[in-house]
Amino acid sequence: MRQTRTAYLFLAPGLALFVVFRVYPLLEGLRLSFTNARLGRAAVRYVGIANYTRLLEDTRFHVSLANTAFYTVASTLPVLVIPLVLALALNRGALRTVLRSVFFFPFTLSVVTVGLTWLWLLDPVVGPFNYYLRTAGLPARSWLADPATAMWAIIATTVWWVTGYYLVIYLAGLQDIPRALYEAAALDGASGWRSFRSITLPLLRPVLLFVVVTHIIGSFQLFGQVFVLTGGGPGDATRTVVQHLYEAAFQNFFQFGAASAMAWALFAVILLFSIFQFRLLRGHTEY
Amino acid sequence: MQRGLDVRRVALTAALLVLAALWLAPIVWVLVTSLKVTADIVRVPPEWIPWPATTAHYREVLFSSSRTARIGRAFLNSVVVGVGTTVLVLITSAMAAYPLARMRFPGRGLVFTVLVGSLMIPNAVVLVPQYVLVQQLGWLSTFQGLIVPEAATTFAFGVFLLRQFFLGMPGELEDAARIDGANAWQVFWRVVLPLSQPVLAALGIFAFRSAWNDFLWPLIAVNKPEMFPLPVALALLRSAYSSESYGPIMAGAALSAVPLLVVFLVANRRIVEGVRLSGLKG
Repeated sequence: MRQTRTAYLFLAPGLALFVVFRVYPLLEGLRLSFTNARLGRAAVRYVGIANYTRLLEDTRFHVSLANTAFYTVASTLPVLVIPLVLALALNRGALRTVLRSVFFFPFTLSVVTVGLTWLWLLDPVVGPFNYYLRTAGLPARSWLADPATAMWAIIATTVWWVTGYYLVIYLAGLQDIPRALYEAAALDGASGWRSFRSITLPLLRPVLLFVVVTHIIGSFQLFGQVFVLTGGGPGDATRTVVQHLYEAAFQNFFQFGAASAMAWALFAVILLFSIFQFRLLRGHTEY
Repeated sequence: MQRGLDVRRVALTAALLVLAALWLAPIVWVLVTSLKVTADIVRVPPEWIPWPATTAHYREVLFSSSRTARIGRAFLNSVVVGVGTTVLVLITSAMAAYPLARMRFPGRGLVFTVLVGSLMIPNAVVLVPQYVLVQQLGWLSTFQGLIVPEAATTFAFGVFLLRQFFLGMPGELEDAARIDGANAWQVFWRVVLPLSQPVLAALGIFAFRSAWNDFLWPLIAVNKPEMFPLPVALALLRSAYSSESYGPIMAGAALSAVPLLVVFLVANRRIVEGVRLSGLKG
């Protein structure tokens, strides 16, 4: 009994913070999504599922959702594979600590700093990227102003930004795999590829799952890179759901009800994706 | 055979070094640009040595002219928000994680499950109601309006991380302190926290980084230019300048990287440890 009181006294400050600024906003958002709330509107009414049905007709929302989904799908493979390949190369080699630090460094930068960096690198006229492409005899482009390449430029920027983070996670995962397994496999005459497939990959499954789920939750909230690099353009080619939500809530008419419906629709999509990923990758984690 | 392996190893290391150099090139390019005189910045082919070098762009974004004087101020704002968030996260997470790891009480499982479950909540989902709440509190464009929601975002992860660490700690020292008559608070404050310095440092860096780099929340929660934190001020700096004047923008970008670079150089191992532990939550 006394311990219960003590425990809750310890928990009180954190739980207050958590309930007021995390739980309450989450539920309040759900409530708002069924209202016609706007900034400064005094008489807020419940409008049923009108905000959700309107989303079904909002073609710009559909474009944003499609762009976000494209970004998520297209970036998942590079984000999953590039750090893994680097981790495998770094794991046994020399200079592990130094190289790990180098690849990690971009991850300490803010999304705005990363965006500004790549904006300048990819500058169509004076940026070094296009200059070196031309020097190599390859066609230069306005990467960010071309609807065919803009989203890919954003993906490349993101890969550069987050690779170091996932590299560190993979390296930790690789370190946790007992060496003896590889030695045994080598004694049995297994090739490097074979022991990668039969030992590394299965034992790394929880780590892979973490990387995919983390990346997907982040991807669906893509905003900062787009805000700095393209502003959602050219046209709506890189417009994302969070940008659409941000503009509905804070740029045009402050439609809090409609924006909350978008937020919950996004949440539902993320949950579905996460559950699907869990199912897909869970399979046989026990070894 | 052995020789062949060595050649492969050297080739691999060389390839990794080249890749690492390419990985750093964008950052070097930002630094080089920020130190060039304006006329040299747009010169093609690109020059990788900023000569003659100048600190004019740094002076401009830090000290002069109304439209850019915000970077110096924004830097201080970000320091306040970063430190404030870190302190609040460390205190609340440690206090909450301790009973979850060490005490038996009704509701313990539920509290922990809810906290861990909340890690799946995307920030974008609470954006609008959080704005309404902060506005009703009168906290828009204030430090507490940035710090408190930021801390609430990191709190659950902090609890998860610290609880994990506390569970792995041997309990004998705590028992000894208790036998000596220390109460729960004294045990926590004098025994548990000092033993937890490495994990507290890792969590502190994580919290500082999240607060220092966050963009979307301050973009909407601050509408007074003098209260902008760095990412917002930098993003607006971009639209304030025409594209020819990359100098001041790159100086601002370079400045924004400094605090975490310093932390990173001083506490590389802690950061790596923090990331490693964050990966465990999967």
